[in-house]
Amino acid sequence: MPRRLPWARTLGILFIVLWSLVPLYWSLNTSLQTDAQISERPANYVPPGPTLRNYHALLTGPGEIPETIRRSSLNIVVECTAATLITVVLATLAAYAFARMRFRGRQLLFYAVLATMAFPAYTTLIPLYRIMSVFGLVNTYTGIVLVYVSGFLPLATWILHSYMTSLPLAIEEAGQVDGAGRMQILWRIVLPLAWPGIVSTAIITFLFAWAQFLFPLVLSSDLSTQPLTVAIAALQGRHVVPFGLLNAAGVLALAVPAVIAVSLNRFIVNGLLSGSVK
Amino acid sequence: MTSFLRSRTLLLTGAAVLVGALTTGCGGGKSSSGSDQTTGVTITVTLATEPPPKASLDAFTQSTGITVKWTNTDWDSLQTKIAAAATAKTYFADATNVDWSRVGQLGKLNWFHPMDEYLDTKALAGEMPQLPAFTSNGHVIGIPYDASFLVTTVNKKLFTKAGITTMPTTIEQYTADLKQIKAKGVAQYPLNIPFAAAEGLSTYWYQTTAAFGGTILDGAGKPQFATPGSPGYRAAEWMVDALKQGLVPPGNINVADSQGQQTLMAKGVVASTFADYSGNVGSLYSVPASSTVVGDVTYLATPGVSGPGPNMSNPDGIGIPRQAKYPAAAAKFIDWFTSAKNQAEFAGAAGPDKVMPGYFLPSRLAGMTELTQKGKLIGGQQLGDLLKNSAKPVFPEGAPSWYPEFSKAVYTNLHAAATGSVSTADAVKAIAATADKLSS
Repeated sequence: MPRRLPWARTLGILFIVLWSLVPLYWSLNTSLQTDAQISERPANYVPPGPTLRNYHALLTGPGEIPETIRRSSLNIVVECTAATLITVVLATLAAYAFARMRFRGRQLLFYAVLATMAFPAYTTLIPLYRIMSVFGLVNTYTGIVLVYVSGFLPLATWILHSYMTSLPLAIEEAGQVDGAGRMQILWRIVLPLAWPGIVSTAIITFLFAWAQFLFPLVLSSDLSTQPLTVAIAALQGRHVVPFGLLNAAGVLALAVPAVIAVSLNRFIVNGLLSGSVK
Repeated sequence: MTSFLRSRTLLLTGAAVLVGALTTGCGGGKSSSGSDQTTGVTITVTLATEPPPKASLDAFTQSTGITVKWTNTDWDSLQTKIAAAATAKTYFADATNVDWSRVGQLGKLNWFHPMDEYLDTKALAGEMPQLPAFTSNGHVIGIPYDASFLVTTVNKKLFTKAGITTMPTTIEQYTADLKQIKAKGVAQYPLNIPFAAAEGLSTYWYQTTAAFGGTILDGAGKPQFATPGSPGYRAAEWMVDALKQGLVPPGNINVADSQGQQTLMAKGVVASTFADYSGNVGSLYSVPASSTVVGDVTYLATPGVSGPGPNMSNPDGIGIPRQAKYPAAAAKFIDWFTSAKNQAEFAGAAGPDKVMPGYFLPSRLAGMTELTQKGKLIGGQQLGDLLKNSAKPVFPEGAPSWYPEFSKAVYTNLHAAATGSVSTADAVKAIAATADKLSS
């Protein structure tokens, strides 16, 4: 048996942790410095005199930036929440049908749904844009949310399908014996049991939606629908890059998913591992 | 334009352009049927810049009946939007960005209305020296709204401190001066070259090639730099050698153009940027909040082989996409937006109330003259002369449609040469091979 190398494991973990956290720290570090401090040589590894001026400029400063940040923050919350709710509802129904109902072509249909995940998202950008344009849905919440739902539904269905197939069938059969219909079984038996899986699916969907840039960039034309991720990019000047401002905006955009990921980590892991062990 | 930002979406935009080329090829690039209405309409203008003052836009609305809805989208994202909208044949704006480097692509794909349908572009040409850079297939597809070109900047204080009292006029003298600055310990690394693998490195090389007396491509797109001893070849060698000789900070391997200007030149770390942005002395180096070298940096006529060389133009333009709803109204706006009076006012000739944030150099000579005469442009006289006499397009016959792919080959190979992973000779060879392949 090979000897265990605890120091190698520790070193590996340390490397991965640093690899992941240093960019985040650097963003926070930059956001807490003035432009002059940011361009000092050598670079400041900790803010010499931490300042919130970049955050003030973003949230309460003069000009259009605060309004842009506020509105785009609202947009991203609305779009992500709506997409998450719709995706979870549809995915729950679809996953239950694929997991428990027997109908012709069930397997084929299920794998067809999963296969859509293999398509690179970029290949669908232009057709979706065209479709949204034809239906007058460009630059609307509806258009953006529909695109999100279409993109995240297969993964959500897959996660919930895995979760539901791991639930004991006997309880549902007992319900059936007691005369409960499909929807009653789903509503009263399956959903309470699958609740952790549904929560994890919702979190994963929300985080994915929050990270979107390209689709909302193309599908939104102005601040009425632009999410925070798109608005942040517009902070770049034509000839000058406002490093402090951009990093502060990045930290703000990161805050919500970071809090969700840290506080609800067990649900996320639960959802991703569901069905892996039976 | 801040060029290092551009590489991020290059792949996606390229893919969209490819799809666009195919669909245009199949569909014949059909024109949209926009309305000719020019009163009582609202047009959307999408540019990578903040809007003119509200009062100015309101005055335009009052005089024309055209309301302007302005959207500020960063340059990279905007190129993606333009490509996506044109490919999907979908409206997104009535007037938007036409960058000098995209003229070939946009013209070939027929994504923009020829401006000569709406404006007297022949008359404009005499007033806008950079207009020819926006010509594709004999049509002007965008009107330059600023006068961006590459220019050498020097920190005179550091030059003087090193005992240099006469500013260099040749590249040989310029190089010797930089070495002297280093030798005297005035600046450890006196020259700023942004060696990060980004568009800024490509444009730096174009400008250096011009200084060595050459061009990058001929009219057929064939490389003019493949032979050792040719200006482009020597320019590449000069740039890489400058790094190897310690004239350029070693960290510049990962420094992009605007980053170097903001963190090196504006802080007095380096003494010169050979290919700088033409507005930087006024907009960056003379601004106390962003600079520690206020009053020390000036423009310098490009040191060339035997005297001042040309300055490569890289202006931003504005044009009308094929899917515009109100192209005629958009044309009226463009005419107004690029008028000499407005340009001068946007750049500060009539006081801060009429300033358009981020706008520094009028593309019209009259606008530049007015600004200079009112003393509102630092180095205005010099910039005006450069714009009129030595600002030349990088590609005299318009940027080729495959420019983004070529530029990528330029900056990745020059970056590789700078890191030492390939020789300069191999880098130039690879760039030339790319140009040969793309142009054949």
